[in-house]
Amino acid sequence: MKTFRTTSVFFVLTLFFFSCKKDEPRAIERDLWLRHKGAEMPIWVRGNLASGKLVLFLHGGPGDCAMCYRHYLRGLESEVAVAYWDQRIAGSSSGKVDPKTLTYAQFGEDAALVVNLLKREFPAVEIHLLAHSYGVELAWQFLTTGDNQQLVRSLVVVNGTFSTYRWLYQIREWGLREARAQGKTETVAYLLANPVTPENVLTYDWQRLERTVHELGANPVSVYADKRFLLHYAFASPNTALAQFTHFKHYGEWSRNEMMRFDKSALLGSIRIPVGLFWGKKDGVVPYEISGETAALLTGTTTREVLFEDSWHEPFLTETDRFVREVLRFVK
Amino acid sequence: MKSPVYLRPENNHSQNKPMKILLLLGGLAACCAPPLHAQQLRLAYAGETFTHYGLKAGYEHALRTFPRPDSPAWGELLVSLNLTVYRHPHNHVGVIVAPELAYRRTGRRGGFAEVAVAPAFFWYFLEGKTYEANPEGGFNRVRMAGRNAFLPTVAIGFGKDLSVRRNLPLSWYARLNFMQQRPYNAGNLVRFGGEIGILKPINAK
Repeated sequence: MKTFRTTSVFFVLTLFFFSCKKDEPRAIERDLWLRHKGAEMPIWVRGNLASGKLVLFLHGGPGDCAMCYRHYLRGLESEVAVAYWDQRIAGSSSGKVDPKTLTYAQFGEDAALVVNLLKREFPAVEIHLLAHSYGVELAWQFLTTGDNQQLVRSLVVVNGTFSTYRWLYQIREWGLREARAQGKTETVAYLLANPVTPENVLTYDWQRLERTVHELGANPVSVYADKRFLLHYAFASPNTALAQFTHFKHYGEWSRNEMMRFDKSALLGSIRIPVGLFWGKKDGVVPYEISGETAALLTGTTTREVLFEDSWHEPFLTETDRFVREVLRFVK
Repeated sequence: MKSPVYLRPENNHSQNKPMKILLLLGGLAACCAPPLHAQQLRLAYAGETFTHYGLKAGYEHALRTFPRPDSPAWGELLVSLNLTVYRHPHNHVGVIVAPELAYRRTGRRGGFAEVAVAPAFFWYFLEGKTYEANPEGGFNRVRMAGRNAFLPTVAIGFGKDLSVRRNLPLSWYARLNFMQQRPYNAGNLVRFGGEIGILKPINAK
């Protein structure tokens, strides 16, 4: 019985030990959840709220995660607060969600609720959007709906598009350039035989095109090659580790219909908030030319282009320190 | 953009019914069956990793033993009822109630291996302030926000019965649990969990 009692005490002490929080100098560490239409979406707020600025990170994918990238973005937190929001059926979001809610309209509605919730919780701060890849499409959806853009102060676009047609067009152009440079005649022939046009975009085999450009080195960088990221992801982040790999299969219908029709070209002229165009110059996933096209459409506001010459699709992975400095410079 | 349609909080009572029946049956089997064979208490560390930590407690007894006539080794068919509480920091607190059926094979030196199945029931409570949008454009705070789910579990484990050679009425054991949470978003989620703990006999025949 004595051994049993000793072991019990050991377990209780173990739990007590792990329950203690580290005394960290961060100004804020707030965990919020938004429950909406079946989804339970975490919004982890970290960093310097006293700065009066909060950067809401709109992750990519769709189906990727926000908090997992804190490993690269936490440099922001000493100067501003950062809100890491996992979208529905993404990251650590949970609940019981109908995949039919995976629409741009629903993601935009969720984003508006997240922004309003952050404004309710932190009324004194101004909100800036930092959008990556699919998060950029979500940002355009949000900003071109109603008067949503009055809720935020600026947008940083990171390697993302405003139009699926223009995206596929520029991917093919990138692929042709690379295939020619690499002397891959079969790939050149395939790409020449399959032009992207406004007429065929709805039925275009975009997955084959994407595979082709990946084979040409469209984005050779992977977070999974970064052991420190993996350790952080598995042990130090609040992510539900295996959940990440369950999400993508639910986006089939979205990629067949929603994504192929996505085009905000005609609405970008209505944007009035400052926009930063941050681009990994070598990216073949969302090529740099999209940055120029975006700037040309943003006729109602100011834009600032920041190029990351040694980066592909995720410049915050490859040029982390400079990326953080540039974001801080922009939001300040 | 379409006008937002705000759903009422879903009820999943219909989904609860078979689980409640399973729990009831498991609980009855574990608690009310005649204690003809050994009964043990379980206490274990249980978690997904050391950072998602928890505690498991349970009560088990042998429904049937299978002695081998020409060997000191024996097998046992065990039924148990277990409660696990764990914390996934900044994410959720989970509670698992698991009626379990296990087969344990103990060797002549006290070492044992076991397999178990459990139609477990899972509740989780989100860690953090949870809000739900209301039709007026505001937010309602949801206290104790969370959800329940079915968590069928298969476990394999090993351990040692210290009473066999050292006359110490205690066993230690370690286990790996394979769980499937359903529903989870639009499908299910496979979870892995480990546990390490002790079994303390409370009544041996």
